Amino acid sequence: MVRLITHNLLSCHAKGCTTNNFPLQFKDAEIEHRDAEFNPEFIRGLLPKIEWKALVDTAKGLGDTSLPDEQPEMMDDELLKTLHHVLLEVHIEEGQMICPNCNHVYPISNGIPNMLLAEHEIA
Amino acid sequence: MPTKYLVVFAQSHSDFRIPELKSVAELYKFSLLLPEPCDPSRPFMVIELDQEEHARLLAKRCILIKSIYEFYGQGATYDELHAVVQKNQALWEQYKQDTSFRFSVAAYNHSITKARQREVMESFGYMEFLGKIDLKSPTIVLGCYEEYGDTRGKEFSNKVVDGQFRQVYFGRLIEEGSARALISRFDVKKRVYFGNTSMEAEISLLMANQCLARPGSLVYDPFMGTGSMAYPTSHFGSFVVGSDIDGRQMRGKGKKAGVLRAATQYGTAHRVVDLLTFDVTRNPWRCGGLFDAIVTDPPYGVRAGAKRLGGRRRSPTAKQLAAYSEHQAAPRPADQPYIPPTKPYELSELARDLVVLARYLLKPQGRLVFFLPTVNDEYEDVDIHTMLCEGMELIANSLQDFGSWGRRLVTIKKVTSDTYPAPFGDNGEQSQNTTEHEPAHKDFREKYFQGFRKGTSTTLDDA
Repeated sequence: MVRLITHNLLSCHAKGCTTNNFPLQFKDAEIEHRDAEFNPEFIRGLLPKIEWKALVDTAKGLGDTSLPDEQPEMMDDELLKTLHHVLLEVHIEEGQMICPNCNHVYPISNGIPNMLLAEHEIA
Repeated sequence: MPTKYLVVFAQSHSDFRIPELKSVAELYKFSLLLPEPCDPSRPFMVIELDQEEHARLLAKRCILIKSIYEFYGQGATYDELHAVVQKNQALWEQYKQDTSFRFSVAAYNHSITKARQREVMESFGYMEFLGKIDLKSPTIVLGCYEEYGDTRGKEFSNKVVDGQFRQVYFGRLIEEGSARALISRFDVKKRVYFGNTSMEAEISLLMANQCLARPGSLVYDPFMGTGSMAYPTSHFGSFVVGSDIDGRQMRGKGKKAGVLRAATQYGTAHRVVDLLTFDVTRNPWRCGGLFDAIVTDPPYGVRAGAKRLGGRRRSPTAKQLAAYSEHQAAPRPADQPYIPPTKPYELSELARDLVVLARYLLKPQGRLVFFLPTVNDEYEDVDIHTMLCEGMELIANSLQDFGSWGRRLVTIKKVTSDTYPAPFGDNGEQSQNTTEHEPAHKDFREKYFQGFRKGTSTTLDDA
């Protein structure tokens, strides 16, 4: 797991890290592809919350260039399917997510990211 | 025009019956009229619906419905019943000529002898059904239910202890409830992965109905634990995200996370979107308005206490900092991650925080569904009302009674589309009790271990 949908909704939350803290950068990512059921309504419902540029850049960083750089006005079925694949079928199983601002490392192990903060990172 | 239907409830969780009916009606967007007055403790209820299809939807989705009938009549005596049934002839006339049928005669809190069942069937002779009696696969089933008063709690005598005859109901079977079969499907004992605090199947299914789990909705459990809530919600089509301050509960042993193994067993692993380890009071969600529902069973401290990040000392010691930078430089394997210090999280504080957090994270009209344990003798409705905040409205509050204590399934709806700032700012401490009221669930853990003795609710926070 760590699907790109989830990744797109997470930012660094360490103490004082409030700007440039998104998106977290993948490092040493081990990627798996797994089929998920296609639910166009679910994807449409998510779109208002998705940061398009972050999604495109992250997907590119993982070698997936299927999304257009600019978010199209119209969502046709083909694009929804591409989004479905990028958001829900790409899993990062191992690796790290690193904050572009404070360099905090969030390790991913067996698909579960550890986003606990240390004592000095909370106020 | 609305038609009357007779709902036959399963004999459990009576306090959950009406909230479940209302939730399922809202889920499928049809109107439901409850009787006035409405007594959910009784096992039969006559409701009004616009279409027969709606009755079928209720029977297929409500965990607490045993069966549902088109309502032909009721009475305090059989004479009264027969008078009503005769008056309602328009409802059943169409089946007189050549519809195969069978009678079913049963009672609540009483058993009816075969001979009397026969008498009851014969007493409906005036209906003059000419169709074939077919016991195996009749076209219609006519059900007659006698209701007797409850004898629980009454003085025991050596005689037969059946209560008083209260009411008799009659109607045509529309649909047997099929959702109750899910209780066995989600039985914790048959699950490949569970823990000692896993929620029993029936209750977790009721929670899934309270949060309107449906295809394509996104549900979040911030106290994921072993994932009890994820399985029924994802079964009904929801996508689920879970987080927990302690990742070991979600992982279990083995390469593949325990929650995923159990979800695979139920065929819904693809709907478990992600599992994340973090403290919900220090959460990394980038924005609010994300989820259709938040459904959770917060740890309330009997078998597992709630924790949040933070120690008592404000600044870390040099040794802790060194340990931490060592961890950052060379992360330890998953089975022994860096574990930051935590402190206890008092229940009433947690509950208030959860409501404010849900207001931030839910979409408008989204629902927060969670359990709150409480001391039954001390509980007052104001306990629940004082934890609400602007924009969050209570829509159901059902007690599961364990005697001196119980837990209340609380359903709260976000009725505002205003956006609110993220709770838990940089100082992380959110909750301020703005009222003087001390709810019965405050310091629940201490009260539990003191056996709910009055006047002993001293805080054992540091014990």
